[in-house]
Amino acid sequence: MTNPNSWLNRYVNTLPERGWFNFLSRYVVVPYWIWKEPRPKLPGGPRPSPQPSESVQRMMNLIMPLKDPSPAGRARATMAIAQNVDEIFAGLDNVGTVHFARFLLIDDNICMISVYDGDFSNYIRDFITTIGSVFDDVVSLVEGGEALLPTEHNVEKFIDWVHDHDLFQAPDFPTDLFGLQDAAKGLAPNKPPHMLESLPRDLILQLHANRNISLGGGYRAYPGVSAAQVRRKFGQGW
Amino acid sequence: MLHVLPGQSEYISKTQAGGDMDDTGMAEKLVRVLQRPDGDTALRPVHTFGISATGFFEPSPIAGNFCVAEHFNTAKTGVIVRFSNGSGSATRRDGWSDVRGMAVRFHLTDNRDTDLIAMTLPEFFAPTPKTFLEFAEEAAPAPYEGQTPWQKILSLIQLKLPKRDPYPGETISPDDGAIRFADQNAYAQLGVLQAATIGAPTSYVRAAYHAVHTFIVTAPDKTQRWVRFTWQPIAGVLRTDPNLPPVDDYLDAELQDRLGKEPARFSLMMSIGEIGDDFEDPSRPWPPHRIRVMMGTLTLDAVSKNQLELCEKLSFNPGLLTDGIEASADPVLHIRKESYEISSEWRGATPCPFSQR
Amino acid sequence: MTKAFDPQEIQGNILRGYRRNLVRHLILEVTNAGVARRFLGLSVAGDSPDVPAITPDKTWPTKPEFCFNIGITFEGLRALRVPSRHLETFPTEFMQGMTKRAIKIGDFGESAPEHWPAPFDQPERVHIIASIHADAEGPLDRAQAQVERAFTTLGVRNGRNLPEGRVFFGYVDGISQPRFNHIDDPSQKDVDEPIDPLGTALLGYPTRQEGVTFRVPSPRDLGFNGSFNAFRILAQDAAGFETYLNDAATELMTHPDVNQLADPHRLERIGEGLDMHGALREVVAAQMCGRWRNGVPYELSPDAQYPEERVSLTNFDYSHRSRCPVGAHMRRGNPRGGPIVQRIANYTRRLVRRGMSYGPDFDPKNPDSQERGLLGNFIGANLGAQFEAVMCDWINLGLQDPRITSSNDPLLGANTPQTSWFDMSLPSGGTIRLRGFPRLITSRGGAYTFLPSIAAIKHLSELND
Repeated sequence: MTNPNSWLNRYVNTLPERGWFNFLSRYVVVPYWIWKEPRPKLPGGPRPSPQPSESVQRMMNLIMPLKDPSPAGRARATMAIAQNVDEIFAGLDNVGTVHFARFLLIDDNICMISVYDGDFSNYIRDFITTIGSVFDDVVSLVEGGEALLPTEHNVEKFIDWVHDHDLFQAPDFPTDLFGLQDAAKGLAPNKPPHMLESLPRDLILQLHANRNISLGGGYRAYPGVSAAQVRRKFGQGW
Repeated sequence: MLHVLPGQSEYISKTQAGGDMDDTGMAEKLVRVLQRPDGDTALRPVHTFGISATGFFEPSPIAGNFCVAEHFNTAKTGVIVRFSNGSGSATRRDGWSDVRGMAVRFHLTDNRDTDLIAMTLPEFFAPTPKTFLEFAEEAAPAPYEGQTPWQKILSLIQLKLPKRDPYPGETISPDDGAIRFADQNAYAQLGVLQAATIGAPTSYVRAAYHAVHTFIVTAPDKTQRWVRFTWQPIAGVLRTDPNLPPVDDYLDAELQDRLGKEPARFSLMMSIGEIGDDFEDPSRPWPPHRIRVMMGTLTLDAVSKNQLELCEKLSFNPGLLTDGIEASADPVLHIRKESYEISSEWRGATPCPFSQR
Repeated sequence: MTKAFDPQEIQGNILRGYRRNLVRHLILEVTNAGVARRFLGLSVAGDSPDVPAITPDKTWPTKPEFCFNIGITFEGLRALRVPSRHLETFPTEFMQGMTKRAIKIGDFGESAPEHWPAPFDQPERVHIIASIHADAEGPLDRAQAQVERAFTTLGVRNGRNLPEGRVFFGYVDGISQPRFNHIDDPSQKDVDEPIDPLGTALLGYPTRQEGVTFRVPSPRDLGFNGSFNAFRILAQDAAGFETYLNDAATELMTHPDVNQLADPHRLERIGEGLDMHGALREVVAAQMCGRWRNGVPYELSPDAQYPEERVSLTNFDYSHRSRCPVGAHMRRGNPRGGPIVQRIANYTRRLVRRGMSYGPDFDPKNPDSQERGLLGNFIGANLGAQFEAVMCDWINLGLQDPRITSSNDPLLGANTPQTSWFDMSLPSGGTIRLRGFPRLITSRGGAYTFLPSIAAIKHLSELND
């Protein structure tokens, strides 16, 4: 019935590259679906897991919009970090579970990207105890941050706020998205199973609810070991 | 102290297979259902087209710390490897999107062998023989026409991916049935999705192959670990461009050409399972954050001269193990042992070692 | 912010344990908010013959016939009509409830909430856990009857103290508890451990973490002086434990270093009439727990369960040279001042533990597998910072010391025979790795409850629909 070589078929195959199609898709089709089948925003950060190797070397991708994204504002953010170097290292060493951490200024955001071991809220809470003042300095630069100051007296709120600004980590296996979306609505996952063909739509709609995401839980060259285990194995003391 | 399966080291006895009652019947049914109308009963019902190459395996210095099996403790072990296309059609279609197979036979001392069978799909479509049979029945090749342009437009408006056009010469395909089955059974969704988009490798040695099932390896201190194996191509993974028209017959020539110039190598990566990982469900891959041990390097340097004896007639079997490697309780692994035996018998192949009872 | 502390403003059994023989926990649903609130009002006033009185933390000249206390879940607070704007000020983990935190706290596999028996299989209906402590059954029955006039009883759990303060695994338990300057606890008079600030157990006070205070839920009458409890029903596989001790001892008998674990010429120090196998069983039990089964801390007496010189049960600390294995249960749950990765966190995750055993007696000579275990209360000012933090990073995962990371607590941890391991310590500093032990403790129910102060209960009783 279908002639794959018909001009119409060949034309339709090229639609995703056509400008007018993309325009229609972006401004009409997708918004329609967003209105019709909105998805709840999925929580950020790695999901709890029984396996030890899922509980070490976890990725945090914290994106925080700056109150003042002008060059002066961003300079202020840069100085806030630079003036707290001692505090930050004390924190990192005394919390003991961070492999790597870095601050980035990207567009209008200050981002904190780190690799850490164990539970995320323990890590934040222990950090507040050691370097609460640094968090205060950073948070005061960020939109919506005043409500969290001082962080030492707003521990739970700060943890929830970080959780909210940490990027959603797309599941390592794309079809797991169905179950996550069900769980976010309070439904039992995959009961009934989603149609497989709806995966692109579910992904597009989820990317509307979670604008920024991490694609999976990250690649690891030497998985399954904590920061302290590495330090111990290399004789650097922990 | 550890409740070790009462397994023999080389052979898996039928009593351990567990799962379905009618095991012999099941293995046969599986072989039958996989046979395509456009296949050839003198050939394998799946992975019909293939090519064998020979070479050797060298374990890494630490492999012996994890497994006492001979090939992880001997400097060099000879191997024969059969690469294949997953399809059971009797017409060669290298360029069509298809799972590929890599069956490795290690030649141990005293004329013993052990096999490791892997494919480019990291999981099976179903967790048990029974559900696999249901999948195979639903996904039996049926007339395939793709979608009309209007149907495709409708899909795009619904933010669904349109179906691919049939390949030139393609009249039947398992795709529609597989998707139908996946729509009803969540466990099949990942496998069907990945199989549909897997494409074609530019070379048999430029794909990663996964053994899928969980095996139990025993270390010198008797520690047992539940592991999964993957062959990683040192040349890297490269697929053909899906937008170009597929070429029907290029992989064998490519391999001949390549190995004629230089050997191809694979790393054997072994992921160690942890609590909460499913050791018995081959339809669920483990997330990529597990400790992965580099167990050794496979070097292939020659295409077998006698492809009839050393490729077509050869009978690999996933149950052909050796001291130090045991099967987990994965029911599909157990049924495969029998299915491979039956298939080997039906196509008149060199009997696989299990048939010498 | 910190006013002078009066223990009578809080419920009993938080800062000081009751030490009664029996407990009955009533798992209750609020079906009529008005009736429930009226009950609470009369209970906290304490002078009604028809309603059991809430027992505050009071030093009694004579023991009352029974003690009565309540814990309220988030759904319970909602059922009592606490307004949303106040409900929102409670911590996230409490709002979600224990079942939604399952994977974090190790409740998966056999312990998963999907397998919990009634009434914990309907967590949204578990509103109040009323606990009655007494020394006889009669007062328990009477109090229960009175409670049931105001609430629907979804389930009952009865507990008792085993002789000598032991638990079914054979250990003497409940020895080490946080102690506070503000109260006089005779059971802690010989204890020389660091004092804990009130903020370890109660909301509204400074905590052990410098500068950090936890949010007091609003309004202040409701939240201040409150506490949180992880109420847990923990089934103990006593038969499995004894079997494992046998298997471990048998395997150790052939180990070249076995004489370092137990001196074959001094076995009477470990127990009377024990042979080497029997002694090794006790050594494995002691190292896995951190205390010998008679309560003597392994750290203070690693070679003898019955040391010649009496040792303190509580006054010790850990160091890099400790003989107590890093992975021992007690050391995981409370690493004291010992070296841990999270250097800032020493003493910050202490828990008040109140528990009683449930189920039939267990005879190691005739082991059976009927369900028995512990009705546990793990109390602290913040569930996330204390109970959950200990469970997910210390009891399981073992993040506090690289030598145990990726292994779980041998007694309480989420273990399977295929994945479990525990390193026994040798006096030489070496280790012997044990493997293959199953999950010995399985959760069979539980809930996160808020333990309101006396003023808070009064506040709740005065709410309107």
